[in-house]
Order: sequence, then structure tokens, then C-alpha cells
Amino acid sequence: MLGRVDDLLRGRGAGAPGAGPVPVALLLAILVVGGSAYGFVMGLGGGRLIQGLIGTVKVPLLLEVTTALCLPSHYVASSLLGLRADFAASLRGILASQAAMAIALLSLSPLLPVLYRSDIDYEAVTLWNGLFFLVSAAAGQAVLARHYRPLIRRNPRHRATLALWFALYVFVAIQMAWVLRPFIGKPDLEARFFRDDAWDNAYVRIARLIGRALW
Amino acid sequence: MKRLFGQVDALLRGRLTQREDLERGEVAARAGTLMAACMVLGACYGAFMGLFAALNAGSPSVLQVLSSAVKVPLLFLLTLAVTLPSLYVFSTLAGSHLAFPQTLRLLLGGTAVTLALLASFGPITGFFTLSTDSYPFMVVLNVLFFAAGGVAGLAFIARALNHVFGPRASTSAVATATDSRAGAETPQAGAEPAPPATRPPRAPSLPGPSSRARFVFQVWVFIYAVVGAQMGWILRPFVGSPELDFVVFRTRESNFFEALARTLRTLFGGG
Repeated sequence: MLGRVDDLLRGRGAGAPGAGPVPVALLLAILVVGGSAYGFVMGLGGGRLIQGLIGTVKVPLLLEVTTALCLPSHYVASSLLGLRADFAASLRGILASQAAMAIALLSLSPLLPVLYRSDIDYEAVTLWNGLFFLVSAAAGQAVLARHYRPLIRRNPRHRATLALWFALYVFVAIQMAWVLRPFIGKPDLEARFFRDDAWDNAYVRIARLIGRALW
Repeated sequence: MKRLFGQVDALLRGRLTQREDLERGEVAARAGTLMAACMVLGACYGAFMGLFAALNAGSPSVLQVLSSAVKVPLLFLLTLAVTLPSLYVFSTLAGSHLAFPQTLRLLLGGTAVTLALLASFGPITGFFTLSTDSYPFMVVLNVLFFAAGGVAGLAFIARALNHVFGPRASTSAVATATDSRAGAETPQAGAEPAPPATRPPRAPSLPGPSSRARFVFQVWVFIYAVVGAQMGWILRPFVGSPELDFVVFRTRESNFFEALARTLRTLFGGG
């Protein structure tokens, strides 16, 4: 497994860019292992095992479901722009980027216990976790860019599908993270899978905040 | 159904609108198949739109799912039916060599592309439907998705028109017309080459039939967008306001653009 992860990070073997068969099972396995491990450590921060177990499920779910929701649009956009022949290669890149993001999260997870033991409040812990997600997403994007480089060289239209993928993925991922919260769990609240107001909308909240600031 | 999706796939990949065919003024897709594709894809997205009313905690209305599944394809096909005749007449007057069936097929192709992209947004609409109770947000999200689908469909038509009215197309269309009138034959192999024709005097720089027809199509795109938006307003509700009971059609009042501005104000104002 470690060898495969190394291949993924270095962009060689099963993790190399190209149009070969997409190693879906392998990449999903890496995603689940990496995401679950980070989710467990993140949830355990409040000292509750149950929140850790919930985190084990939530982080891979966040990455997988967001990808699954955005793939149909990516497929149609690729077809429309005449890039269907490269769809397998782009799917390989997308799955590799998700797996790389999970690995990056896993690599940052040892920092979490240090943070949790550093006597910082819940808001600061949330911010640090947000930063770790951001850094890991950047690592995933770097892997995706590596996969897309030869595709863009072959046909610059790939730049458009990549931009569309990124915009749609971020749009859905923000709401998905909002729905799936709490990931850490407030120390004074009971451990649970969803908040009472889970089925709420992050963008409506933002729009109202902007509205209140403007008017 | 498998064959239908095969046709949609071929359409998205541009196999039904090949450059050579379009330059001859031909569109390979069949109107019936494209119409069926529009209905299936539109119904698929419509069902996702109507889900918001079906999951409304106050007064859930499953009928909205069925209603929207019927109304979304209807919205596009009615808009096409309203705008196609004038487009055909004016583009023909402007010199387009596309016959009526070809014009219909091309525009149905653009509509099918719009609806295919909308259908692919369906799971995202479904996800946001499950995770929000804000009606204004759902309206704005759907307007954005419809706009994205519309841009894709119109880009498809614009690309096809580049081939239909491109310089090679005009030449081949004129050549075909001249040949057929003069009963010209293809030169035999080994025949003495014809002397080079004297260059005709440069024509005054008036727009040619192709550029006039292209202009008509460009105007049509604008009209189609405005008519489509207003048609959507007439056929509303698609999402179904949680404060109102289910109706197939609402009473006539206001217009699409005024209502969108009001919805945005509500979304940002916290209403």
C-alpha cells in the first residue's frame, strides 16, 4: 500500500497521468484510509470516541459524494467540448487528486493531537482544521494539475473543463461540509452525526450576512 | 432508451453535426429522436426541481415533481415553437441555405444539449434541495443552472452555424447551386485543364447572404433567451413556493426579470 501511495504522490505507476485503465478501487481505498484516519483523529479532539468514529465516516463521505455529484456535469462538459476521448485520463486525474488530498490530510493528522493539547479554544481548533483541509485541497489540486498538463498540451480546451470542475467542486464541497458538520464537535455538546440544523444552506447564511453588512 | 442515449451521446460528441454535413446544409440527427431526448432529459431535471415542493415540511406536494417533469421539456419546446417560424422566414430571406427541417433539427440539437447539461446538474440540484429550506436560494440556483445550460446550447448552435455559414460553406453552396443550374459535370481524369477564370471585379463591400443569415441567427439567440425566460415565468411554478398551495399554473402577474430581482433582494435581505 505504501508503495502505491508513493507512486500516487510521485505520479508514476498506477498514479501516473495517462489514458490507461483507471485504478478506481485502489484510489478509492487510499481515499477511504486517508480520510477515515484524519476524520478519526479530528473527531477525537473533544475526547469522545464516538465523535472520532463519526469522523471516520464523514471525511471520506465528504470527498466521495462531492466527486460523485459533480462527475455527471464533467462528463457532459467533456463531451460538448470534444474531449470525450480523454475522459478516462481526466477521471484518473480527478480520483488521484481526491486520493492525494486524503493522503495529505493523513500526513497532517499527527499535528492534531499536538493542537488539541495546546490549550486552544474550539474556534481556533476549527480554524486549524479548516487550514489543514485547505492545504490538503491544494495538494490534491497539484496532483490534478499534473494529470491535466499533458491533456492541456494536447488540447487547450481541457483548461475550460478543469476550471468548470474546480468551480463546481468547490461550490458543492462547501455545502457538503456544511451539511455534514460537526466534524470536531463542540466540547459542551453531545456527540452526534448531524446537527439539529444540518439541512441548512451555507450560501443562504453567507448571503444574509452580506445583506446585513450592506443594508 | 439505450438507443436514445446513444443518440444524445453522439450529439454531445458532435457526431451528428459534422462539419462536412453542415457545410452542405445538412444535419444528420433525426427530429423525432431529438424531441424524445429533450423530453426525457427535461423530465429528469424537472423532477429534481419539483423535489423541493415534495420535501416541503409544511404542505408537501408530490404533484409538483410530476408537474415540473412535464413543464421543463414543455418550456423549451414551446419556446422553440414560438421562435422557430420567424427565425426560418427571416434567415431564409437573409440568404440562409438551411431548409426548414434542417433548421428545426439544428435548434432541437441545441435544446437537447441544454437539457443534457441541465440533467447532469440534476444530482446537485437534488443535493441542495435536501439541504436547504430557502426557496429564494433554490430559485437563484435553478436560474444559474438554466443560464449555464442555455449558454452551452447556444454555443453548440453558434459552432454549428460557423460551419453552416463559414467561407467554405458559402463557396460550396454557391458552387452547388451554379453546377446544378448549368448542369455542369465533374471534369474527367486526364482532361485538359480549364483555363484560369478571369478574376471578377471586386464587389462592393455589402454583407453577403451568409453574414446576413448569421446576423439573423444572432438576433434570434437574444429573442430566444428573452422568450424562454418569460415562457418560464408563464409556466411557473417549477420549484413550488412553500408558502403557496400546489397549482399547475400561477395567475398572470409581473414578469421574469422583475421576479428575479425580487428573489435576489429576498435572498440577501434574509426574507
